[in-house]
Amino acid sequence: MTKPQTLLSALACALLGYAASVAAAEPYREYVWDATSNPPGVEGDKGHTDTYQYWKDRSKLPAMNGADEWKLNWKFRDRPGNDQLHGGDLAQERGEELYKKLNAGNAFAACMGAPDGNLKGLRLKYPRYDEDMKKVVGMEARIEYCAGKLGSKLVNGSYDNSAVSIYIATFSNGMPMAIDVSQGPLKDSFERGRKVFNLKAGRMNLACASCHVQMVGKNLRGQTPTTHYGDLTHWPTWRGKDELQSLHVRFTECDKNSGVQPLQIGSQSYTDIEVYLSALSNGYPMQAPSMRD
Amino acid sequence: MNRVLIGSAAALILQACATQSEPPRAEAPKPAATTTAAAEPKPWPAGLPADALYDPNAKNGTIFYVPTTDTATLKQADHPRDLSRWLTRSHLDTRGVPPPVKKTLDGPLNGNPEEGKKIAMNTGAGNCWACHALPGDAQPGNQGPSLIDFAKRGMSDEEVYQTIYDRRSVNPMTAMPPFGALGTLSDQQVRDIAAFLQSLK
Ligand code: HEC
Ligand code: HEC
Repeated sequence: MTKPQTLLSALACALLGYAASVAAAEPYREYVWDATSNPPGVEGDKGHTDTYQYWKDRSKLPAMNGADEWKLNWKFRDRPGNDQLHGGDLAQERGEELYKKLNAGNAFAACMGAPDGNLKGLRLKYPRYDEDMKKVVGMEARIEYCAGKLGSKLVNGSYDNSAVSIYIATFSNGMPMAIDVSQGPLKDSFERGRKVFNLKAGRMNLACASCHVQMVGKNLRGQTPTTHYGDLTHWPTWRGKDELQSLHVRFTECDKNSGVQPLQIGSQSYTDIEVYLSALSNGYPMQAPSMRD
Repeated sequence: MNRVLIGSAAALILQACATQSEPPRAEAPKPAATTTAAAEPKPWPAGLPADALYDPNAKNGTIFYVPTTDTATLKQADHPRDLSRWLTRSHLDTRGVPPPVKKTLDGPLNGNPEEGKKIAMNTGAGNCWACHALPGDAQPGNQGPSLIDFAKRGMSDEEVYQTIYDRRSVNPMTAMPPFGALGTLSDQQVRDIAAFLQSLK
């Protein structure tokens, strides 16, 4: 049964490998495999939506509107293209205050991985394998952990945790994401994350990749999923619905919207997706604070 | 009730006995009690992994967290629907999904097109309009083909029923959810939507 398909969906479908699981240990499951570039990095989008050519350089973003805007991957919301002050700036200020209070005697910075108190480049060390927590963690999980050790409670995903995360990230602005997933625990995490990203789940049998790969650029009643390449250099972000949103909270939102039971913020599955997507942002510069619709 | 659903229900019960390899996060905020003190606490659903955002005593079980400005904690909110019976993205989840099934139509279609329209054009129910254009929708979805004058296709009632019940039986690579096989829609709802589509001239 062939129905007229747009060129784009035909292209996306050509990139898809479809496989139902055959492993004896796993019950019957379905995957929508995407064609991740190797080594993974933002340039891999050239073989995916090929929209990277439009949003590569924020200072030179072309003007687009309506049906084509998704091709900019929302980068026109970032600086320098967008000079608007927003809730992310207020969060950064709050994050600075909280950070300075926590960091009396430099204990917090040291725990975060900056023993000399220099925050430049610190954001780029996450996600990473954490020797203390004995697992791969994102920066927000480590913020919660270090604050906890110093007697403060900064729940992963909360406004204050995200505010501190944004403050720390600002010191790495302009520096490209560069996590190494070629070996060790991060490689395992990347592979698990890739698998989960492609797993069909929930009451609609949708994978993350169903929308961000298979339906990328399509109109889902006013919402258009964009590429998952280059998506992880601006988190946590200020959302137009007046919410400072961490990446894992965004994952719960996508799960919610697609009829999938959401998972705990900081759960291993979400962290592995974070590792997978971080690697697909390798080469793209950090941008904090940021805003998204 | 078909074999697939009974099979997966049995699998759910079996998995309830499997031990979870990881406890829930120790730091997870304690869900606020939403029931009266007298109410019996409800058990964790069988098969649901321990790292799901779920509170058996919340309104619909499935919950999510909302950050609030200038606080260090998260506020719990109710999801409009209990999602615990379907596969999650958790590594701890040991469940699968029902394999594709070509369902024969028992008896005449017997669908109510009016009801079908309500289910098809409702995001919380059939949500067909997320992916398909349907008459009278100002924001038509365009992932799947337009269904605006669907009856002109001349598909048999059974073919339409099978497509909605489990499109994977027609196209294994489809992005369309297998509404019947997953138990997302009841058999009658599938019939109602099929009747609605067959009325679109
Ligand atoms: C039903 C379709 C759908 C599914 C399934 C889905 N998403 Fe999304 N997602 C969207 C839409 C639509 C947006 C908003 C437009 C955009 O930025 O892509 C979005 C946005 C995002 C963003 C924010 C991008 C940004 O730059 O702000 C991330 C990250 C994301 N999704 C990751 C995921 C992950 C991980 C999963 C699986 C757990 C997932 N999505 C599943 C539709 C979906
Ligand atoms: C997540 C997106 C999605 C949703 C939701 C969805 N569909 Fe589909 N549907 C598709 C796609 C994509 C196709 C075309 C590809 C294929 O052959 O399966 C399709 C194909 C169809 C066809 C075959 C059309 C033809 O001309 O042969 C029918 C009928 C149909 N869908 C009905 C429905 C109904 C009814 C619902 C709601 C109960 C629904 N769809 C929900 C994505 C979707």
